[in-house]
Amino acid sequence: MTATDPATTSGQPLPLDPSLAPPGTRAFRDAGGIPADRWHADQNGETLVPTHCCFCGVQCGMYLRVDRGGKVFGVEPRNHDINRMRLCPKGINAYQQVNHPDRLTAPLMRSNRDEEFREVSWEEALDHTVAEIRRIQGEYGNDAFGLLGGASLYSEKTYLVGKFARVALKTRHVDYNGRLCMVSAAGANKLAFGIDRAGNPFSDILLTDCLLIAGSNVGECFPVMTQYLWGARDRGASLIVVDPRETAIARTADVHVALKPGTDSAFFNAVLHVVVAEGLTDEAYLAAHTTGWAEVKKTVADYPPSRSATICGVPEEQIVQVARMFAGAGKAMAWHARGVEHHSQGVENCLSIINLCVATGNIGKPGAGYGTITGQGNGQGGREHGQKSDLLPGGRSITNPEHRRQICEIWGVDETELPLAGTSMMEMVWQMQRQEIRGLVGICNNPFVSLPNYATVKDGYDTLEFHAQFDFFLSETAANAHVVFPVTVWAEDEGVMANAEARVVKHNKAQEPPAGVRTDTWVMCELAKRLGAGDKFAFPDSRSVFEELRIASAGTVNDYYGITYERLEETGGIAWPCPTTEHPGTPRLFEDGRTYHADGRIHMQVVEWHPPMDPYSEEYPLSLTTGRTVAHFLSGNQTRRLGALVEQTPRPWVEVHPSHGFRNGDPVRVVTRRGSEVFPALVTEAIRPDTVFIPYHWPVPTAANALTIDALDPRSKIPEYKVCAARIEAAERVDEVPAPPTAPGRQAYPETQVSRLDPLPPTSPQGRGTAERS
Amino acid sequence: MMGRTIFIDPGRCIGCQACVSACRECDSHRGKSMIHLDYPDEGHSVASLPTVCMHCEDPVAPCAEVCPADAILVTADGVVQQADTTRCIGCANCVNACPFGVPKIDLQAKLQMKCNLCYDRTAYGLAPMCATVCPTGALFYGTLEELQAERPGVQVADSFTFGTTTVTTGVAMVVPADKVQWPVPGGLPVVEINGRAVR
Amino acid sequence: MTEPPQTAEPTPAPGDPAAGAPAPGTAAPGDPAAAGHAPQTPAAVRRRASLAGTVVSVLLILAIVLGSRLLRDFDSALLPYAVATVFLAFGVAYRYTVWISAPGARRLFRKGWGSFFSAANFRKAPTALPKMIATYLGFQKFLGARSHARWAAHQLIFWGCLLAAAITFPLTWGWFTFTSSTGAGPGYEMRIWGFKVIGFDALSVLGWLMFHGLDIAAVLVIPGAGYFLWRRMKDRGAITGQRFAYDLVPLLALIVISVTGLLLTFSSIFLHGGGYEFLAILHMVSVVFTLIYIPFGKFFHIVQRPAAVGMQLFKYTSRGKDESVLACRRCEEPIDTTPYVENLQGTMRDLDLGEWAEYCPRCKRVLRGNAYLDHVKKGFK
Repeated sequence: MTATDPATTSGQPLPLDPSLAPPGTRAFRDAGGIPADRWHADQNGETLVPTHCCFCGVQCGMYLRVDRGGKVFGVEPRNHDINRMRLCPKGINAYQQVNHPDRLTAPLMRSNRDEEFREVSWEEALDHTVAEIRRIQGEYGNDAFGLLGGASLYSEKTYLVGKFARVALKTRHVDYNGRLCMVSAAGANKLAFGIDRAGNPFSDILLTDCLLIAGSNVGECFPVMTQYLWGARDRGASLIVVDPRETAIARTADVHVALKPGTDSAFFNAVLHVVVAEGLTDEAYLAAHTTGWAEVKKTVADYPPSRSATICGVPEEQIVQVARMFAGAGKAMAWHARGVEHHSQGVENCLSIINLCVATGNIGKPGAGYGTITGQGNGQGGREHGQKSDLLPGGRSITNPEHRRQICEIWGVDETELPLAGTSMMEMVWQMQRQEIRGLVGICNNPFVSLPNYATVKDGYDTLEFHAQFDFFLSETAANAHVVFPVTVWAEDEGVMANAEARVVKHNKAQEPPAGVRTDTWVMCELAKRLGAGDKFAFPDSRSVFEELRIASAGTVNDYYGITYERLEETGGIAWPCPTTEHPGTPRLFEDGRTYHADGRIHMQVVEWHPPMDPYSEEYPLSLTTGRTVAHFLSGNQTRRLGALVEQTPRPWVEVHPSHGFRNGDPVRVVTRRGSEVFPALVTEAIRPDTVFIPYHWPVPTAANALTIDALDPRSKIPEYKVCAARIEAAERVDEVPAPPTAPGRQAYPETQVSRLDPLPPTSPQGRGTAERS
Repeated sequence: MMGRTIFIDPGRCIGCQACVSACRECDSHRGKSMIHLDYPDEGHSVASLPTVCMHCEDPVAPCAEVCPADAILVTADGVVQQADTTRCIGCANCVNACPFGVPKIDLQAKLQMKCNLCYDRTAYGLAPMCATVCPTGALFYGTLEELQAERPGVQVADSFTFGTTTVTTGVAMVVPADKVQWPVPGGLPVVEINGRAVR
Repeated sequence: MTEPPQTAEPTPAPGDPAAGAPAPGTAAPGDPAAAGHAPQTPAAVRRRASLAGTVVSVLLILAIVLGSRLLRDFDSALLPYAVATVFLAFGVAYRYTVWISAPGARRLFRKGWGSFFSAANFRKAPTALPKMIATYLGFQKFLGARSHARWAAHQLIFWGCLLAAAITFPLTWGWFTFTSSTGAGPGYEMRIWGFKVIGFDALSVLGWLMFHGLDIAAVLVIPGAGYFLWRRMKDRGAITGQRFAYDLVPLLALIVISVTGLLLTFSSIFLHGGGYEFLAILHMVSVVFTLIYIPFGKFFHIVQRPAAVGMQLFKYTSRGKDESVLACRRCEEPIDTTPYVENLQGTMRDLDLGEWAEYCPRCKRVLRGNAYLDHVKKGFK
């Protein structure tokens, strides 16, 4: 067999240099770190700084390699007991953010959105921001100015976000991007257990006999956690995966329940129905430790497998099989993530899983329990200390007079001055549209990619009279702001994060920030000073904030008092609650059978399934579901700039079943009631025929969130990212991925962007095979 | 038979490509990844296969045998090294002679490059970068005993058939207990009927 | 040495000592040259290599005798150097013969020289060969793709050594003479094989260059070799697996030769010959050692490297015709030029390796992955 010679057919003279080798053998593109031909493996004077990854909720330990000049230049695996040296591709490439050419190094400012940004001094940017805050609050009241935080910040900074909103801005409108992440689980946990965290540590997974993973693509979103799944299976555990897509963990699972998106609670109710019907419940446990079981039992009676099988689009026998496997196991455990939480019934979905665990007595034992896998690095810690619209530090409620009094005392403010509960992130956007919120500071978030229904989000932000954003790369949201403050990346400051196990871990500072870059702490304190609250914000560093956080959380459910930087460095992480400095922390909850409700019982909640908010119709017959891919993180502002990750997954795609008749790479238009975009098709049997999937890390015109619905769960206010009605049709050409925004006069680091415009879908959802790269 | 080596289990692999990124971090070939990650079941499932150099023992390293410049050396402990930079002439014989599809070639530098079992790390008592970071243990570095201690009952095979040729390798693959006595099929040659491949 | 045959197929030449010899060779790890089923036994290869070495050595001795006008121009003080070059000639010819006796090298040797001597190729692309020689052998462009610093250092060493060899080899063989009609200069004339080539004034710039050529060579070599030595002390990638005899000795030898050579000049100009004797012996010992070492260590790449030109010329000239690129049987992506792959397949047949060169590496992996999924295990268990 012969091929046409690429060199001779192109009409160019044949190059003298060798130019021919089979695909995948010659691709040596430098992946955006130090160009290979300028790399010197000179290791003299190298130091290893122990820290953790900045990305997901697993919080893998890693060492950052720092050269003699004090610059981070590499990563070395660290034998921390969370990850035992394992790292995922995001974690390995994370260090390249630190000295990345795209970093913002001076504050950017403009008076309106039609102007170009110009670089200004810190004084000018801070003064202008404070003048705008004063103007807006003076004219329209304190609540007309909002603050949005993020769950990738250190806990110290999330504490400061909450305090800054309530004490310096004196506004009720503060929320954070964890609202888009795991609040449904938080809500369910609070309702059932009175405490908001996973019940068991990861290591308990190794002890279980049956592991149920619901709505979590562990292999891609929490790759390093996979070792616990496999470890459990090595020891004989069975694995059940509930996911509309056949993900890497679902592919080899003992049971893969490929249900229709948005039908989780119907499925789990039916599983519980079978458990009850077959007498597999733990009645002694239920009698001793729960309330509400009778009502729950009555409700699930209405969900026989025959009914739920129709709703969920799965075989009846599979429901029975899952029920027997889970309830029949000696020790069973359930973990879930965004797949069940990102719904207008997200809280219900979580509760239906909790009901299953509780009814089978699988709570609070080694190898038996329940947990949610937090998506952001500080997804757990970020929701604990007051950047949520209704919470104060220590998980206190802002509506509880006793809690308000305690915090006012700690902060030294008058109780009447403490604002009331605010609204959720998506609701704040609607308020922006209605001009109830006219000014906004955003810290560590990128709603232009991460919030649903982009058109609404863009309109809301465009209506703002003043918008400032903190970031280290110019995000799509920051590029639309009036003022951008260049802040540190995680390796340039110290602080703590709490991972999915509620284990508090310490991140260490590996290098000095570049000239012109300040910590978020410094910027918030400077703004507070100018707003006249400087005495409440005299924090020179993270440690001083943490000391106040310890005191502010003392005696609460989320008790950090016993945790100190020194103890964290000695131990490698302590799970809260930890009330005293002698306390070992609490890796496993409910061991004594008591919850954190006053009566010590688990409050089981009745769950009724309802259809998703976006109705199916003849025009929109399919379900669109969204999610992550392994090479990218959240809104992609970080990972879309790292060469290796761009090369692995250059662009989004739409995953469709072969029954639709498309061929791999065909341009496919995905249409929902909110918009339409064209993606290359990744045709695979690993997805339900009635469902299409788009990963959400890219901005418009390749944003999954231009299509998703901004319907919220009434309790948790989480948007329904995981299901909306859609149709697909053939299109002419795929939409191009835009370059990541950069400061004026700069260009996104070209070496990292080489494959961005490649129109093809990845080989598999995990990315391009190494031989299929452009 | 086997000392400390890499054991590959594609059944555990989640295709995340941590190994691909990690390989790039190795000091001796910084920026260049030697490992291959393929999705062989494209369109059907997300199954994936990581490929490191198998360090063929018998016949000893086809890549080294076909090398016209004697550039590929095999160490006493059976590690097939990547091409000696002074000798390699960049002819790509090794690239196309390897039954496992391992060697890569930098055409501009006229230099073959391939996995050398992280000689720069193993010499310091560290595991190769890919096997160190692999989130799932699909790539495991250690002795067979260490592997079996972590995964009770696991079996490995270190021979592969390519038609009539059987290649015994230094790197082994995990196989089910009932298949341990047979060599692992290498996928070649492809049986064709009327020009169409059948398997 | 015999002229390379022009035929493509490996028909054993008449009188080839290997023809009909028993096939299996003993495979030895680390010595792929002797591995596999070479059509010659190692003993036969050794015999032939010794013969080649002897012939080349004898030819060189003849050339020395004739070139020095029956030793009239031969400088007996340089005898050890001349003897070393004869050993060098033997060693290089021996190693070269052993080298090209291995299947892969033998076939490429034939193809390379075949392309080299092909009149058709010359007519089609007359500039290809000189350009390749200039970029690969002269300016070593490919090294720049590995590292700019290493390219620069290698260029220094390369041109320094080339200059030194161009001066010293003919001198030690008595091919060059510098004579002065006045006995002690400054007017000199340079003769090759007794014929006057150029006359110059020793005090002129040209004269200075003529007499200090070796010093210039040393000044080029020292920083180049110094850089490499420094890198070998420092760079973890280079340190790993480096061997003293293979990687460090050549650099040390170059530095010792260059430094002692420079010191000889220094001694004669500034010390009125102080320490000259000792330095001269040290210099001579290091040069003789290096010359004898060339066929056996890292320096053999000097002899091997031109194969890169032969290889590339072969690939280059076999392209451009219709349908000359072989495509993977499965994915139809180009693998390499068809004659090249056929040549490789021949090598693999010689070595009793399977027929798998016509699938691209990716397809080999994918096929193996599929076979594993189908026949070994689908998933976790």
